[in-house]
Amino acid sequence: MSGHIIRNPKLAWREVDGAMVIISPQDSQVHELNETASLIWKHGEGETLEEIAQRISAEYDVSLEVVRADIGELVVALEQKHLVSVATAAKG
Amino acid sequence: MNLGTIAELDYPANQADSCAPLQISIGNVPLSLYIREEALLAPALRRYREFERSGPTGFPIVLNQPEARTEEGEFSFRFNDAKMVLDSRGAKFQGVRHEYALDSLLRILLTMVLLPQRGFLLHGATVVRDGRAYIFFGRSGAGKSTVASLSPEGSVLTDEISLVRYSNGCWQAHGTPFWGEFRAAGINKLFPIAGMYLLKQAKEDRVEPLALKQALRALLPCVLFFTTEARAHETLLGTLLGLIDEIPCHRLDFRRNAEFWKVIAA
Repeated sequence: MSGHIIRNPKLAWREVDGAMVIISPQDSQVHELNETASLIWKHGEGETLEEIAQRISAEYDVSLEVVRADIGELVVALEQKHLVSVATAAKG
Repeated sequence: MNLGTIAELDYPANQADSCAPLQISIGNVPLSLYIREEALLAPALRRYREFERSGPTGFPIVLNQPEARTEEGEFSFRFNDAKMVLDSRGAKFQGVRHEYALDSLLRILLTMVLLPQRGFLLHGATVVRDGRAYIFFGRSGAGKSTVASLSPEGSVLTDEISLVRYSNGCWQAHGTPFWGEFRAAGINKLFPIAGMYLLKQAKEDRVEPLALKQALRALLPCVLFFTTEARAHETLLGTLLGLIDEIPCHRLDFRRNAEFWKVIAA
């Protein structure tokens, strides 16, 4: 699992009770992310998705394969809602 | 203009090309309306008479001057045939043909000017009881005017658009001239906010506290907000979270009669 996310810069967001609340001003949509998606949102620009998977796997004692699969699905969902895009190139 | 980060407005003390302005204050925001057309000035004087003030020039709003090109850093917004162009030095309202267009643009302007001052407009009725403000909010048809009509004469700050602002160390509700079907003039007073109540018509009167995210979810669709700028929305989010952190928010199930005050008092 390589790459990292880039948050859509047109969105407004705040962390509320440990979860991300994201507003899309263009269409007034409000998105509330679950715990894992919030971690991806929060750390996904500074860390690779693989690093986030390892962090979650260690913190929650869940196998890395399961976490990778979850993150993969969540990132696809976030992309489909135009909340993030994924940069696949390795970070410098 | 970055609406989310204006530190302060820096408008001139006098307009170069000025008629005598109509000086008003809404939510403690001093405004100077430069209206040359009698057909607009007379209804404006009537509509905003409770909000007139004396004193130095406020944020200048010039009506119906020849249209200028929107410059870089200005915010513009169209409302039907009317247009508002705004920057930190003042606003121009163009194409205003009647008092309702003026009123609509004023609401839009205030959402912008209040934003960096921890203030916002909300679809809500504000009723004062024992010196504290109760805000009953909800979308059209939720019962705002009903709550206002069930409240004693003189206790309603607005039946339609509430103005919430943090000042002097607390969250306060201000009267506004923006009324719905109840009355017209408004009351230019402010009171500390006791609670916020999301209105829901029901078969019994009941109050349910809203958790932080529930309250945010309830408030967001009821805030008047017109910009699509992300930073402005982040500022608004911060303001709403600050409010919810200090002021209890509830859902109020009510039967469209005055009995709901009993469950609020409980």
